[in-house]
Amino acid sequence: MIKQASPLLRMSGIKKSFDGVPVLKGIDLELAFGAVKGFVGGNGSGKSTTMNILGGVLKADAGRMELAGAPYDPAGPTDARTAGISFIHQELNLFPNLSVAENLSLEDYPRIGGQMGVIDWRAVRSRAGAALRSVGLSISPDVEVSSLTPGEQQLVEIAKALTADPKLIILDEPTTSLTSREIDRLFGIVRELRSRNIGIIYISHALADVREICDEIIVLREGVVTDEGDVHSMVTDRIVAGMVGRSLEQVFPRRRAPEARDTPPRLSVKGLSKRGTAKDIGFDIAPGEILGLCGLMGSGRTEVARMVFGLDGYDSGTVAVDGIPLRPRNPREAIKRGIAFLTEDRRVEGVHLQQSIVWNIPLVRLSKEGRALAWLDPSRLAAEASEIARRTNVKAASLEALVSTLSGGNQQKVVIAKWLTLSPSILILDEPTRGIDIGAKVEIYALIAELAEQGMSVLLISSENEELLGLSDRVVVLEQGEVREVIHRADDRFTEAGLTIASSAGGSGR
Amino acid sequence: MTLGNKSALIALRLTPVLVFVLIVAMFGTMAPRFLSLQNGILIVSNATHIAIIAMGMTFVLLIAGLDLSVGAAMYLSAVLIATFVPIANLPMAFAVAAAIGAVYGLVNGALIEYFRAPPFIVTLGTLFVGRGIGLWLSDTRTVFFPEAVLQFGRDRMFGIPASVLVLLVVFAAVSFILRYTAFGRGLYAIGSNRERALRAGVPVGRYVVLAYVACGMLATIGGVVSGSQVAAAGAGYGEQKEFWAIAAAVLGGTSLFGGRGRAFGAIFGAIMVETASNGLVMINADPYAYPIVVSAIILLAVAVDALKTRITQKLERRLIRPNDALA
Amino acid sequence: MPNVQAIWRGVDRHLVSLGAAILVLALVLCVVAPGFASVTTLYDMALALLPLLILALGLMFVLLVAAIDLSITATVAMTSVIAASLITRNGGYLSGELGIVIAFVSFILVGALIGLANGAMAAYVRMPSFMATLGTYLLLGGAAVWYTSLHTSSSSIAGLPGAFSVVGRGSVGPFPIALLIAAAVTVLAWLLVNRTAFGRWLAAVGSGQEAARVAGVPVQFTILGAFVICGVCAGVASIILTARIETGSPVLASNMLLDVVGAAVIGGVSLYGGVGKIGGVILGVLLLTMLDVGLRLMGMSLFAVLTVKGLVIVLAAAIDGLRNRMARR
Repeated sequence: MIKQASPLLRMSGIKKSFDGVPVLKGIDLELAFGAVKGFVGGNGSGKSTTMNILGGVLKADAGRMELAGAPYDPAGPTDARTAGISFIHQELNLFPNLSVAENLSLEDYPRIGGQMGVIDWRAVRSRAGAALRSVGLSISPDVEVSSLTPGEQQLVEIAKALTADPKLIILDEPTTSLTSREIDRLFGIVRELRSRNIGIIYISHALADVREICDEIIVLREGVVTDEGDVHSMVTDRIVAGMVGRSLEQVFPRRRAPEARDTPPRLSVKGLSKRGTAKDIGFDIAPGEILGLCGLMGSGRTEVARMVFGLDGYDSGTVAVDGIPLRPRNPREAIKRGIAFLTEDRRVEGVHLQQSIVWNIPLVRLSKEGRALAWLDPSRLAAEASEIARRTNVKAASLEALVSTLSGGNQQKVVIAKWLTLSPSILILDEPTRGIDIGAKVEIYALIAELAEQGMSVLLISSENEELLGLSDRVVVLEQGEVREVIHRADDRFTEAGLTIASSAGGSGR
Repeated sequence: MTLGNKSALIALRLTPVLVFVLIVAMFGTMAPRFLSLQNGILIVSNATHIAIIAMGMTFVLLIAGLDLSVGAAMYLSAVLIATFVPIANLPMAFAVAAAIGAVYGLVNGALIEYFRAPPFIVTLGTLFVGRGIGLWLSDTRTVFFPEAVLQFGRDRMFGIPASVLVLLVVFAAVSFILRYTAFGRGLYAIGSNRERALRAGVPVGRYVVLAYVACGMLATIGGVVSGSQVAAAGAGYGEQKEFWAIAAAVLGGTSLFGGRGRAFGAIFGAIMVETASNGLVMINADPYAYPIVVSAIILLAVAVDALKTRITQKLERRLIRPNDALA
Repeated sequence: MPNVQAIWRGVDRHLVSLGAAILVLALVLCVVAPGFASVTTLYDMALALLPLLILALGLMFVLLVAAIDLSITATVAMTSVIAASLITRNGGYLSGELGIVIAFVSFILVGALIGLANGAMAAYVRMPSFMATLGTYLLLGGAAVWYTSLHTSSSSIAGLPGAFSVVGRGSVGPFPIALLIAAAVTVLAWLLVNRTAFGRWLAAVGSGQEAARVAGVPVQFTILGAFVICGVCAGVASIILTARIETGSPVLASNMLLDVVGAAVIGGVSLYGGVGKIGGVILGVLLLTMLDVGLRLMGMSLFAVLTVKGLVIVLAAAIDGLRNRMARR
């Protein structure tokens, strides 16, 4: 092996702000040739921003980068690619209707007769054969990508990255949809790449995976590198300590512990299973209780919520409100029985952006009974809407304003207002504060606590552990579509470190 | 579940072929003449212009677009060729027609791509504009194709009608473009996912416009072929051709939702539609029943396409518990 | 001055600009088309546009859920021949007053059934509506001609009783019956869109199907309902059109499709769903009809008029496309 004088990658003093809010406060990172570096941090730690700067998607405000000793300053993703950096996103970028071979050559077809020549399918196939061998995938290059398993698709994506002959590969959460066997194969490939002197940055929440495959680990929090070291010194506790900051106590309202626990549960979920998605999920929520749902991305949090609310079906199990089971796959029944569901994708599933605030707020109530010809009195609806908008503190020039003109936080308040018109007894909140500024967050937290105080049962889904800890009475930890454990507020693991370990200490897929 | 979906998908893919076999078997038993070689050649020859237009339609269907104005483009080019442009010979007729179709497609494509207006409404509008101009120019009188075109309609080579040879040339060209050029492959990528195509460096805007240009050109070329067979173009010339063309393409497996389709499918679909109408003639069916039978077949094809697309999307969804799939 | 601003905000700009366009067009036509400003022309025009208005209102319901019904004019023809076959003096199935009542019902019922079929294909099989209804358009076109051929050797079913055709030309007091029907349809449509939960569902499905589903809106039912209403409107329009020519014709309204779609789109009903007002549709119908009458009075051929209308619709679609693009930003 050749000794390199300079490292493969050196980033120093990288800074980046969005709208004046600093996101990266001077990141230093060094990666040697043939090293695998684990890149760890909670949500909002600046991981993706750093990688987007490296991949040429974003431009840094300050700082410099060097690639193999030469200054590196990409103007766009194409520059990064030509410089030898391949970014494999969590969201796959394949065309399912095209063959594996074509997906591997799509950005740069081999041609017969120069630049303007015709596509050389024989070369496409042989290139694909070589690429697939390099990741140990024994499938025909002619099959359509749509017929592959997610794991195979992930490997094809890696094979595609390798065709560019990269010096550095960034893997973003590569194991979320892989089977254990596929993860083993992926790790085999990573080791093989390392032996070919390729540098790898491995981003993941699954700490066991990170510890298994990486040589070094670097931890980020709030735009700062908090810890760094080789894998032997970076034990799980130390990684978690680096990820977990001081908590923002003042942000969260003080909550009284709910009343005596012997009240019958308001919402009771038993044995909820769906092949490929969830297995034997069960939990109860008492009146006035806030139950947190914790888990990595892809652990099935949203899917469970959608099944409970009846948007998706399930194979077996029951969802009962006050002891009476709900018919599956029927959101309107869930609504009638008093369940409100604030979805993760606010813009697509939460609001009608093209319509006004006063139009949006009464919609659930107008659908609840399912009576098409129910008479509607616009001025009364408007009065009710403005009353409830005041309660949730929606800030807008007028209630006639289109929802698309509001800030994320105010849009979310419109969604909450919409559900409050139901006077629900159960509130499912999926990532209620995603993409929302801190001021609006605090208001929403206060509102959630207030609603629980009034006796509402809340199922809170969040990828921010801090949020779960600040609001929940208990937290259900989900992993691979199964309940791993339930942690009570009184438990001494009811801390950021505790939740982080519970949700990510296990490797994905094992 | 997955297995059930997969077999359903295969069954749906085979449906058009089964319907075709059924049609042939049914008419074959009812009218023995139906199965003669001569009738076979007649069917193919009558299907050529639809097949050509349908191949053009395939370009726009691949990008999840649509062109309802192909019949109007045919008519407009027929009027121009028959009365306004002195046509000396056959290649010139084709060249002039293709040029008119290209301009027509350029207008459609530009409006659709740069104004982001829905294709069906833009092309519905240009349908009326084109037909209106055609009727205006012809003063609603029936126009007659020049002698060079009529001669082409009578020509045979090795006993095969010349129109079929044109079909083969177009088929070869379209297959080549769709298979061997970055433009052709780009259409599949755009139809599958426009955003990803942009990210992969496909010049999406240019290709979308070009797809409509190709569609317009093949429509007017198909118009000349059709003109060589019917000799005259009345006020209704080309009407409903858009529908037959879309139907033929979809019957041949091209999806209305984009990203899937082949040139050969258009030919298969065109022959299938023509076979059904021909069979109805052979059994002396009430002529009024034709559109009913044929549109029923087409609605079936569209329904099959919709179901196929839904199942494919279901299969493409990612799993949380991939290990379940192994069990 | 803030009050003026508030009022201006409350005014629908699209309606204002449509109204202005209509005024300008009227002035221009008065100057260039002698005869436009006569009472007879205006009265004829007003009566002529009623079926178009009913059809455009029906189409609006389908457009609101972000679908389209291209079979709407074929539905007019189909209902026309079926109803005519019931009551024609030349061998109709029914006679007497009851027969005529049943004929009226059949217009509406057949229209509703066709709408139901279209809606089922769009809502449950999830076929693209433009393609499914293009299919029914062709199917109904063929079926109407075929059905006519079963009843008569001529190309249409004539000989409708006078008690039926009075709907086309008669009046109640000073009001033409057709006007009363159109007014009733307009009022009902307005109430449905603005004063019922269903009206909200339409816009909810059209401007965000996923959000509508989460909010408990019965999405498929709403799509189905929109198509049924559209079919019923086609049946009602067919009553007036059939009565006017006193004949059940399988090509009735066959040249109206462009006008129907055009009137709705010019009236500000978005092809992307969720946006549309009754007032806009009325003005759209008015504008298109004036354009039609005016151009013809100016001596333009039918086909030149067709071209101009096609252009106007492409323009309206382009504006709709741009507006939608900006709204989504």
